[in-house]
Amino acid sequence: MTEKTWSPTSRPTVSASYAFPAMVAVRLLVALVQPFDLIHDHQLSSPLTSYRNLQEGIHLFRNGIDPYSGGVFRHSPLYLSLFSTLIPKSKTFSAVLWTLCDALGAYALVHIWRARQGLGKHAHSTRDELVAGAYLFNPYLFLPSVALSTSSFENMLALLALMFASQKKQSKALLALSFLLHTSLSSLVLLAPVLLLLLSDPHSHLASPRAFSGDLKRLPSLMAEFLLYFSFLAVASCLASGGITWVSQTWGASLTLPDLTPNTGLWWYFFTEMFDHFRPFFLMVFSVHLLIYTAPVCIKFQYDLLYASFVLFGILGIFKAYPTLSDPGLFITMHVLFPEVYPYLRYPIVTALLHLHASLLMPLFHNLWLAQGTGNANFFYASTLVFACANGAAVIDALWAGLRIALGEEKEGWVIAQE
Amino acid sequence: MNRLAQLPLRIIQFPLRIFRPAGDVNLIRIKRRRAIMAAIGRRASLLTVSLFLIGYLWLLAIPSSQLGRGTYIDENALQPGQVNTYWNWDDVRNADRYLERLEQLRDSNATSEQRVSFLLDEFRKMGLPAASQKYKFTTLSKKNAQGKNVYAMFSSPRASGVEAMVVSASWISRVDEGSGQLNLRGVAMVLALAKFLKQYSLWAKDLIFVLSDGHLDGMHAWLNAYHGSTQTNLITEPLMLSSGVIWTALCIDYPGHSFSHLGMFHEGLNGRLPNQDLLNSFQRIAQYRAGVPVIIYDHLDPRDYPELRNDILPQWIPGFLRDDHDLITYAYQARNVYRHFRYQASGRGSGVHGLFHQFRIDAFTIFALPAAGPHGFHALGGIVESTLRTTNNLLERLHASFFFYIMTGPERFLKIGSYLPSGIAISVAMMFAGLKAWVEAAKTHRTRPVLAVILKYMLPTHALGGIVYLAITSGLVDSVPKMVALCLIIFVSPLILVSAPKPAERIAPLAAVLKALSLCFTSTVISIIAVLNFSLSATLAAILGLPLSLSSPSTSLPLRFVKYALYFGFGVGWLFNMENLQQLLWDWQALNIWLLPFLCLVYTPVVLQASIVCLL
Repeated sequence: MTEKTWSPTSRPTVSASYAFPAMVAVRLLVALVQPFDLIHDHQLSSPLTSYRNLQEGIHLFRNGIDPYSGGVFRHSPLYLSLFSTLIPKSKTFSAVLWTLCDALGAYALVHIWRARQGLGKHAHSTRDELVAGAYLFNPYLFLPSVALSTSSFENMLALLALMFASQKKQSKALLALSFLLHTSLSSLVLLAPVLLLLLSDPHSHLASPRAFSGDLKRLPSLMAEFLLYFSFLAVASCLASGGITWVSQTWGASLTLPDLTPNTGLWWYFFTEMFDHFRPFFLMVFSVHLLIYTAPVCIKFQYDLLYASFVLFGILGIFKAYPTLSDPGLFITMHVLFPEVYPYLRYPIVTALLHLHASLLMPLFHNLWLAQGTGNANFFYASTLVFACANGAAVIDALWAGLRIALGEEKEGWVIAQE
Repeated sequence: MNRLAQLPLRIIQFPLRIFRPAGDVNLIRIKRRRAIMAAIGRRASLLTVSLFLIGYLWLLAIPSSQLGRGTYIDENALQPGQVNTYWNWDDVRNADRYLERLEQLRDSNATSEQRVSFLLDEFRKMGLPAASQKYKFTTLSKKNAQGKNVYAMFSSPRASGVEAMVVSASWISRVDEGSGQLNLRGVAMVLALAKFLKQYSLWAKDLIFVLSDGHLDGMHAWLNAYHGSTQTNLITEPLMLSSGVIWTALCIDYPGHSFSHLGMFHEGLNGRLPNQDLLNSFQRIAQYRAGVPVIIYDHLDPRDYPELRNDILPQWIPGFLRDDHDLITYAYQARNVYRHFRYQASGRGSGVHGLFHQFRIDAFTIFALPAAGPHGFHALGGIVESTLRTTNNLLERLHASFFFYIMTGPERFLKIGSYLPSGIAISVAMMFAGLKAWVEAAKTHRTRPVLAVILKYMLPTHALGGIVYLAITSGLVDSVPKMVALCLIIFVSPLILVSAPKPAERIAPLAAVLKALSLCFTSTVISIIAVLNFSLSATLAAILGLPLSLSSPSTSLPLRFVKYALYFGFGVGWLFNMENLQQLLWDWQALNIWLLPFLCLVYTPVVLQASIVCLL
């Protein structure tokens, strides 16, 4: 396998240095103009990330009512303290804030790319603009951000954690990770790969697998540091919200699924149809099923943990409790970090066509059900199944390609078989 | 002996051997997979051709009686025709009196103001709160409309008025698609019905009587104001009176002086249909309670009227077949289906009722087919009363997924499973053709220039479509010479895009990849809109299926240009029918019918891509 190198240039060309601000400016413009009213769209924000619910919680909080006593507000107390103190409750300001948060996410993605290529922090590569563009202009990430879904914050935190981990900035990475876990409990899946990434290196070893090279003895201390930050934030949350009711309302929600508002994931319809006496069992199955992928993926890709976390993002996008479009969106965008596997993707055209069908079917069936009234919930559910198939196909493609690349180019007369 | 002892074991092993043959499992699996892939590869063309064949034949089979079935009432709450009706001759006399006054107004060339004040007075004399609403369209199109609607409300005596039913008549009848004949008897009928219906205390839903001005424009303005939706090019007065959520609406269209049949028109804007239960209830009531035959549209059934057979059957059909019952049935149902396709695919619907559907209101038009007799106000009033009593029974909205159907006759229809596969089969055939082109492009380990094709050809063609759309909607291009100039620009621009694609050893030809992606995209669009507007999807499948699959570059330069020009003409030809374009523009800007943007942004670009495939 001849590795293609991405030429580092110490100084960016003039056009390149303007590309990133220009892209952010375009995004900002769209966010400010708000061409469509997307805030109420079920596909772009879940009950856990909805801007409307956030506003309601802040309103209750400011009026001295515990926002977690009702069944509406399910955001972390960290959001509550952030938005009720520092940040004004204006929609224009929010549009700017959400765009900046996406810009930061794109910045983190570019730095992950540079770290993976072994370029210095300030070295520019020829692909930087493509990487940033893939994050800023992916419709699955772009639309939830325009709809002011807090999933944009979660994506940014996840990318920041990965960026710091790739740059070996232990404390920052762990702090970002504990913020991420506070805002979205399902991201627990990412704990192992980020810790292991801190112990190894972010470079591509996909073509030459080897045993895990890092020093596992440091793991307990990393874990301890993480727990320290995490419990500090938990205490801060308790202080901010004045109690511990937030635990069951925020983390508990992604485990017990109290709100069955439709979304793009697989949970809501399943538990709408479920008889009550089976509910706890299947809640356990669904939650454990999500976590169970961590170990095999991390073991298989122990030589390239950035790739492991990439695959786990894909799994989160399919099986998470309250997903929005930005969860699979992040996985799709992250493909840009791994150009070396492109030639080995298994059935990219099939996956792309499935995604094309799903991305047209979901808004259509959502509309047939809830606006036109000619369809029913089964229509939308069927389209989310197509979407899940598309995401599943993408994860399988990524897994296959990540493993297949180690075997090199196909030789005439030889076939690779999976045992 | 030994062999004999092994026999039972062998018998047991035999089925196992089939599923898991002896030998290296991986080798067998690879061989099997290769054999399957080779078999599919060999038969790919056959598969595509047979899918095309199935699709096209299925489309032709839609009017056949074999696919359809008889209608039935799905919603038990409706109970059509189970009540005694009270409409009687003195109510007919009222209707006649209203009609006389309306005819006087028409004959004295009364202004619309005079007409409106007359209608308002009459409603108020009955003791109903009534109001009028002025509206004006300010679209770019030349056929701008303005007018004044009149409406009255009757609050339900038995419920809190959270739900409502509409009885309406437009001032202009739907005869010749709203060309100007007045619907005087329809308006008189609504007035008489208002006077009659308010005497009874059995209404569980509010009744709203709407007399809309114009044909489509008045009702559009009224519905928009009622539902609070804003439209920049429509200025309306707000409604003074309001009621609850409207569930059902009946539009009465009675242009002649008597009628022989009642026709049902049901297609709504953008391909939306009303719940079929409503149509079926009306059909049952009219046909079996009141004895008025029901037809679909204004199509009389040639099986009942042998003199019509010559109009329906084409000339070339030989004499001995002309009396064949099945053939006549097919021809009649084909005529109904064709009419349905035209109404639905155009997105314009078949009348005033079509405007209701976007607000989730089930509505259809009762069209009194003009004739010398035998029916008049007496029959129609009883039927409308009974139909309203039926919808009055509803405890929840009509749902039951009865929204996807094709009516082949007043009592026959096709379920979604009977008609959907036709268009989908063609779309799947296109997908297979696209995937075949995709696989062939990469033979001999060539890489496919996907990004180059998308950025250099697909996105620019859609952008060209966007330019055409902007040119039309901004009013810059409003005459044939300007359109020719625009099309010339579009015609030349691919020639620049195409400029010198270097054929490289390890890169697949651009034409093959473009064809693959374009076919896959078109196939996706056709399948997706099949649930939204089946007629449009089937029409697209029928006209695009073969041409797009057959587009290919040729070796000689002149032939390439000829093919390019042919495909190009196919893609932009519709732009030169200025009258139609004006209609499309008005439909889009005034009524939000998305056929114009769809044609600009999807149809034309996709055909342009096929033309570029021929050129590359």
